[in-house]
Amino acid sequence: MRLTPDQFWNYQEWLFNHWGLLWGLGIALILSIVGFLIGFLVATLKHGPSEGFLQVSKVIGELFTIDIPKMSFRRVFAIAKLSFKEAIRNKVLIVVLVFVIGIMFAGWFLDRNAANPAQLYIPTVLTATSYLMFLMALFLSTFSIPRDISNRVMYTIVTKPVRPTEIFLGRVLGFAGVGTLCLLVFGVMSYMFVVRGLRHSHEVAAVQANGLAGETKKEHNHTHTFTLDETGEGTTETVKGHRHIVRKVDGKLVVLDQVDDLTARNPIYGMLRFTGRDGEEGIGLNVGYMSEYHKYIEGDSLMSAVWRFDGIRPSSFSETLNFDFTLSAFRTYKGDIVTPVGVEVKFRSIDGKVESDRIQFKVKEFLIDQKSIPLKLKGIKDLQPADLDFFTDIAKDGSFEIVVRCLDRGQYLGMAAADCYLRAKESSFEWNFTKGIISIWLRMFIVICFGVMFSTFLSGPVAVIATVSVIVLGMFGWFVDDLVSGKLAGGGPVEALVRLPLQSGSGTELDLGNEVIENVIRGIDKGILYSVAALKYSLPDLYSLETSEFIAHGVNLFEGLLARHLTIAIGYFLMTSIIAYFFLKTREMAG
Amino acid sequence: MSTVATAVSNSAPSSTSNPDIIVETRSLGKIYRDFWGRKKVQALKSLDIEVRRGEIFGLLGPNGSGKSTTIKLMLGLLFPTSGRAFVFGKEATDVAKNERIGYLPEESYLYKFLNAEETLDFYGRLFDMPASVRRERAEHLINMVGLQKHRRRQLKEYSKGMTRRIGLAQALINEPEFLVLDEPTTGLDPIGTREMKDLIVRLREQGKTILLCSHQLADVQDVCDRVAILHQGDLKELGRVDSLLKVQDVTQIHAKGLDENTKTQIRELIAKANGEVVKMDNPTTTMEELFLDIVRDSENRPGRRSSNAN
Repeated sequence: MRLTPDQFWNYQEWLFNHWGLLWGLGIALILSIVGFLIGFLVATLKHGPSEGFLQVSKVIGELFTIDIPKMSFRRVFAIAKLSFKEAIRNKVLIVVLVFVIGIMFAGWFLDRNAANPAQLYIPTVLTATSYLMFLMALFLSTFSIPRDISNRVMYTIVTKPVRPTEIFLGRVLGFAGVGTLCLLVFGVMSYMFVVRGLRHSHEVAAVQANGLAGETKKEHNHTHTFTLDETGEGTTETVKGHRHIVRKVDGKLVVLDQVDDLTARNPIYGMLRFTGRDGEEGIGLNVGYMSEYHKYIEGDSLMSAVWRFDGIRPSSFSETLNFDFTLSAFRTYKGDIVTPVGVEVKFRSIDGKVESDRIQFKVKEFLIDQKSIPLKLKGIKDLQPADLDFFTDIAKDGSFEIVVRCLDRGQYLGMAAADCYLRAKESSFEWNFTKGIISIWLRMFIVICFGVMFSTFLSGPVAVIATVSVIVLGMFGWFVDDLVSGKLAGGGPVEALVRLPLQSGSGTELDLGNEVIENVIRGIDKGILYSVAALKYSLPDLYSLETSEFIAHGVNLFEGLLARHLTIAIGYFLMTSIIAYFFLKTREMAG
Repeated sequence: MSTVATAVSNSAPSSTSNPDIIVETRSLGKIYRDFWGRKKVQALKSLDIEVRRGEIFGLLGPNGSGKSTTIKLMLGLLFPTSGRAFVFGKEATDVAKNERIGYLPEESYLYKFLNAEETLDFYGRLFDMPASVRRERAEHLINMVGLQKHRRRQLKEYSKGMTRRIGLAQALINEPEFLVLDEPTTGLDPIGTREMKDLIVRLREQGKTILLCSHQLADVQDVCDRVAILHQGDLKELGRVDSLLKVQDVTQIHAKGLDENTKTQIRELIAKANGEVVKMDNPTTTMEELFLDIVRDSENRPGRRSSNAN
């Protein structure tokens, strides 16, 4: 799992420093203007420009003067309760049965020999839950209002003092209620499936004669070797993404439940900068086509990567300072891809006057390299060797730096800001899993909002198609981005259509022998792609709201990130409710 | 009676402030259009009517005459193409007017998965009624429409007549001042029809105003104070039922216990006054009366053949 820098912005940073608020307000403003213009055009066609303008202004005015202020919670609750009952009596809970049956047999199809079962089990259940919830939200939300209109039950609703805002809100809350109920069941079932499938211990199979090492029995398709200290305490090596603590109880060695996989690490991220080959401030090297934020340092040179951490509190750590690396290597040797690359790490105060002794180790590529240093450590203070206390000498005001160098000549070490983080005390896996479920709930809620909104002006099946389009654009919006930016070769839809019969590979330039036609095709494609991209930017990016990787990789899902997702969901709820209001307000229920 | 003038401009009319006028339409017109905005049918042409407080007003007309369209325009279910409709002096599209309206649609369009109690509770909530009031009203209305034994059955199990009754109950849940009844006796048996008509009259006696739209001419004749007759979207007749139906130059006498001799004398007397006896015979009861008598008799003496049968 590689976090992108935006994922560890805190809530205020995202909202105020990184355009979160402006982005939302911008979309709201553009949509308001577009909505007003469309409304005005339609009203003008019906009533003429002046009457049309009055009509649209009246609808907008009534939203703020009557329809929002005079909303009644009792009416909203009545419609919500009705939606809930309707769904339950239409046997929507069969979906729960499908899930239960699915999860009962899911174990048969998951690879028991997977390198990291937690990273297989958790995404499987969370993804299955997500898609099932999407499906349920889709069909629940899109058919109710069109059905009420077509079988005319709506006559008896809108002839009561019910406001359009109440109909939308009631429907959304009702369906969200059904979704919550199902999600609760899914969540509990998924949790049990994961924990029952993964949590285990082993029996000790053999212990060496000196009593300091041994091996466990093969259980859950794997064994561990372990080492012990003189007191009989120790841990096993990491196999399948987890370790076990081994302890001597009543003179007998006991292997406890596993650690490291069903957990929620609390990474604390720092800011990354580089020094160049001369040891002065510089930039990291680019070894080819890589992400912009992922850079390399050269081995056996003065190049280094420096992470600066701020606001670190001693209370987040107990006896050791834990930190994780996920460094990658780029080799310029031919032939040898096995020998690991050496790394040197030191901790330094911000003013550079105090630094720890250097720690050297070999990089574990593609794995999280877990390290820890004692808080009482040796180092250099004012150019003299000294015994140091981490928080009083190095991180005086909670700020310090970690300096990383690559030791081997001709090798390069790659890193991004998120590749080194401090591991504060771990949070509970259960709470992290719950946050994952909350995250699914938020995405389900967004789908419900769009479904109900579309159903206020489209028939049921068409509303389904429209909502599916939102989901697809939301899940695969990155594909549109890649197409627009030209990252994906082969051009847009028209160019692709032309290439198909010509059997022209997407890697080559389009060559029709006529530049004018080629430019026309590219022009049309640009028009289509930019329109789709514009649409995509006003729709929810469901892909980036996906958080199952956090849970699967045992990383605490930051509350700040969840709060951002909640804010986005509320934003889309407001947007869809306003659009739905206009359609409910201006459509003839008996038309 | 002539057709009412239609030359009222679209923008000029506004509601009169007379509180005794419950519904007022001014040059109300409706054209149904297709998806492309092309005219499909002109369902209503410049209708001007008023429904006054405390009366039962009937809308009559054959299928497609514009009755239902008129009702839907008054309730804000449709928007007028021309003219305006006012209810309680407010635009028909104003949601606030619905607080004082009860509406029984042509067929009881209700949620079939709810039972009678749930249905009334749901509609009561839509009027923002507190739970105690909802319970009390629902209890009263369920008893009134005779669904005590079926209160817990889902509406999908109801017969057409029972659905009509619960439909009427939901229309009365807010104790409306103005009641719109679209074909209220459809699907009801003769007893149900009579009860419905009696109820409508009782509601008028309680001071409610009722707009009734029906194909059943007898129903309209029995209960309505005034009627409007529509045909092909045009208002053809408007006035009091009694004056519309009164045959001015015919006198009707109902007498009991006359012998043949007396009848002859009456005929002679009429002839002497230059009158003409159009018809003189024993009246027949209506099928409705006969049916109701038989059912009442059967309820009083269960298991026996009706005394009316011979």
